[in-house]
Amino acid sequence: MTTDPDPLDPRDVASAGEYVLGTLPRAERDLFRRRLAGEPALRAEVTRWEVHFHPLSDEVAPVDTPPNLWPGIERRLFEPSVARDSGVSPFWRWLGLGAGLATAVLAGILWLGPVRLPDGGQLWVSDMVSADGAVRLAALYDERSGEMRVSVGGAEPGAGRDFELWLIQGDRAPISLGVMPHRGQAAMPIPPELRMLVANATLAITDEPAGGTPTGVATGPVVASAPLRRI
Amino acid sequence: MSDGTGELRDLLGRTALRDRAAFARLYDRAGPKLFGICLRILRDRHEAEDALQEIFVKIWYSAERYVPDIASPQAWLNTVARNHAIDLLRARKPGGGEIDDADPLADDAPGPEDRAIQLSEGRQIETCLSELTPPRAEAVRRAYVEGDSYVELADRFAVPLNTMRSWLRRSLIQLRECMSR
Repeated sequence: MTTDPDPLDPRDVASAGEYVLGTLPRAERDLFRRRLAGEPALRAEVTRWEVHFHPLSDEVAPVDTPPNLWPGIERRLFEPSVARDSGVSPFWRWLGLGAGLATAVLAGILWLGPVRLPDGGQLWVSDMVSADGAVRLAALYDERSGEMRVSVGGAEPGAGRDFELWLIQGDRAPISLGVMPHRGQAAMPIPPELRMLVANATLAITDEPAGGTPTGVATGPVVASAPLRRI
Repeated sequence: MSDGTGELRDLLGRTALRDRAAFARLYDRAGPKLFGICLRILRDRHEAEDALQEIFVKIWYSAERYVPDIASPQAWLNTVARNHAIDLLRARKPGGGEIDDADPLADDAPGPEDRAIQLSEGRQIETCLSELTPPRAEAVRRAYVEGDSYVELADRFAVPLNTMRSWLRRSLIQLRECMSR
């Protein structure tokens, strides 16, 4: 929990209350939310308001959910794209992993379970497997080098489609890490400004038009996802 | 908290571990309440249905941010749902925003649901609301429960927009003093 050494300006106290109530117009709401990212005292104040107001939710009665909603959620999260044909030239730069050790680690993630590196470096892994087990993608992130290595196996995306890898950290919009090769291994440097977001993030792959999403946000279904965990 | 707290906490924890059966059960348990919140705020069944789906997608991806020791699972879930519904509402409603252009950075900041929600507060809010004049208490309640905007509140209480806002901000400061006692 954040402690709050400096008393907040009463105007900020009121703004935090407005934010939690939800009365702020959109632009102000967005602005306030951006302030929250850098102001722990303000975040603590928002938390206080959330706590204070939460009992008011008791007066909202539960309503039975329509039967078609849950399948829709499952579709959005878990439905793999069923597709075979590839033929798209991978724009991803292919890298031989070089170090046999790293290859062994990736192999270990896919088939043998976690493997610890002898030098004790901080490593994160994510095993992404689609719901039907057809698509498999293992990722290994090395904090020291700032490099994410991926190993792609199983079913490939359909004709004119690519799998795109996303970094999801909390409530932030998913950040694209690039388009995956259809098969084999690849390494991608994580830009310095994103490295602090990798720890405990979730990785996900979506099915996108060849070359990746044209809009910057994921357009296709999530094929598989898994949290990054320390090994 | 209700008897379901332990179960919800367990289900959220297992959802964080990508346990799909637990996630399905979490939906069964928490879905109706969150759907109620969406319907109340969005006042549109179709939109509320879409919102609920998006909220559960969010819950799937962010369940690991729920901190069991200091947060009530229901409070955390409600906060995720309310924030999402209010965001949708402010993006569409007349009076919801003076600036119309969509801002893709809006989702970039951490949402409040990843911050701890303490358990110990009880129903102090009712006591403190009762210290406000009835219309002011009603304005706060309507904003929270119904998602009323300043424009709607100003209409309802027949006061100018700016008056409405300073009214409510003063009420909030008063509430905050009461809650700190």
